[in-house]
Amino acid sequence: MPKKIIRLCYRKVIDASSQKVWDKYVFDSTYKEFLMQAQFYNQEKKFSTFAEILHHVPGAEKLHFLVSTAVTGYLQQLRGIVPDILNNLGKHFLPFENYRFEIINSDIKNKASHQVAINFFSKPLQWHDTINGFLLVSPVNGEKTDDGQMTELVQLPPFLSIYSLKTANE
Amino acid sequence: MEQSRKKFLKHFLIGAVSAPVILEACKKKDVISDSSGSGSGSGSGSGSGTCTVSPTETAGPFPTITPSSLVRSDIRDDRTGVALTVKITIKNTNSSCAALAGAIVDIWHCDKDGYYSEYGGTSMQSVNYSGVHFLRGRQTTDANGLVTFTSIFPGWYSGRATHIHVHIYNASGTSLLVTQIAFPEGSSSAVATVNGSGGVAYGYTKGMTGYTYNASDNIFSDDSAGAELATVSGSLSGGYTLTHTINVAA
Repeated sequence: MPKKIIRLCYRKVIDASSQKVWDKYVFDSTYKEFLMQAQFYNQEKKFSTFAEILHHVPGAEKLHFLVSTAVTGYLQQLRGIVPDILNNLGKHFLPFENYRFEIINSDIKNKASHQVAINFFSKPLQWHDTINGFLLVSPVNGEKTDDGQMTELVQLPPFLSIYSLKTANE
Repeated sequence: MEQSRKKFLKHFLIGAVSAPVILEACKKKDVISDSSGSGSGSGSGSGSGTCTVSPTETAGPFPTITPSSLVRSDIRDDRTGVALTVKITIKNTNSSCAALAGAIVDIWHCDKDGYYSEYGGTSMQSVNYSGVHFLRGRQTTDANGLVTFTSIFPGWYSGRATHIHVHIYNASGTSLLVTQIAFPEGSSSAVATVNGSGGVAYGYTKGMTGYTYNASDNIFSDDSAGAELATVSGSLSGGYTLTHTINVAA
């Protein structure tokens, strides 16, 4: 039967109401970086919000990329494991290498309206089955033992989705 | 498929002693509910579909406040080319052009092929977090107003002369000046040498055909006094050093 290889995407939204320490650091650092980088696209100081800058200034969409420099160090602290997402044993397990940072909203005059998202893209997983709403998956080329392939059970809560699907003959 | 399901059930029974712990963790107060609203459910009713386990792990890793990945002197990452050391001195016109210490200096430039680090056009395109910000850096000026970067000689692209972008901020991050640094031209200049036959071995394969010279460049053409023009010395094998002074009103 064809083997189904998926990659999961977790879109982690961080804003002024975020409580976790890592989230707060990312919130503060990305707002500080936004204030610095946005000045390049707002040299006449005509605009206040990210939406205004994006709408009026050509090239301002680069701010997503430029502000992402504030996130790199925090991503490294995760040691390659997607935060928040747990397997059904209550452990973080989802490995990632790729991400994409986005500014959702911000305002140079109002930090409270700063809202960003980090999209984490998992490494490829083999999707074996779906059991009572849980995906039964295992890392592609994962460890094989006498009991067969080691597996993980994971639910798809809001903001976690299947990003890509590839089928290959087993 | 059925086989793997049976295997799974077998595993689950082996681990059944831990099941009460998991069920205990499914009480409503323990459901993950971070600010992004992941605890709000997806309308699947009162079944177990919206109930997920809480983290049950040893604490850590512990986050620490980390500066922007721009803050570094060596900005090359995986980019190759002729070595270039960039030395920029910042002076303050509000203080008789004395050296300005503590100013934040961002620089960025293209690689040998004329490409900048940036996100691609597809909004869902993902990037690996190591090395994605190549040839971009940030340093703070020392007591002599100097910042130094280790980089590679920029290539060029259609419509522009070779250049380095610079954004200077005061210590608190307020923008003081956005400018660009131009490179000297002429038959024996670094630009001509790097993009000439000698540079091919270092990967500079465009040559000078179609190159936009400073006099035709829409940024540098009005700089008849040469205020944006750097001094560049060195060689292909030994690398080049660019020195330049920028005056700001701080």
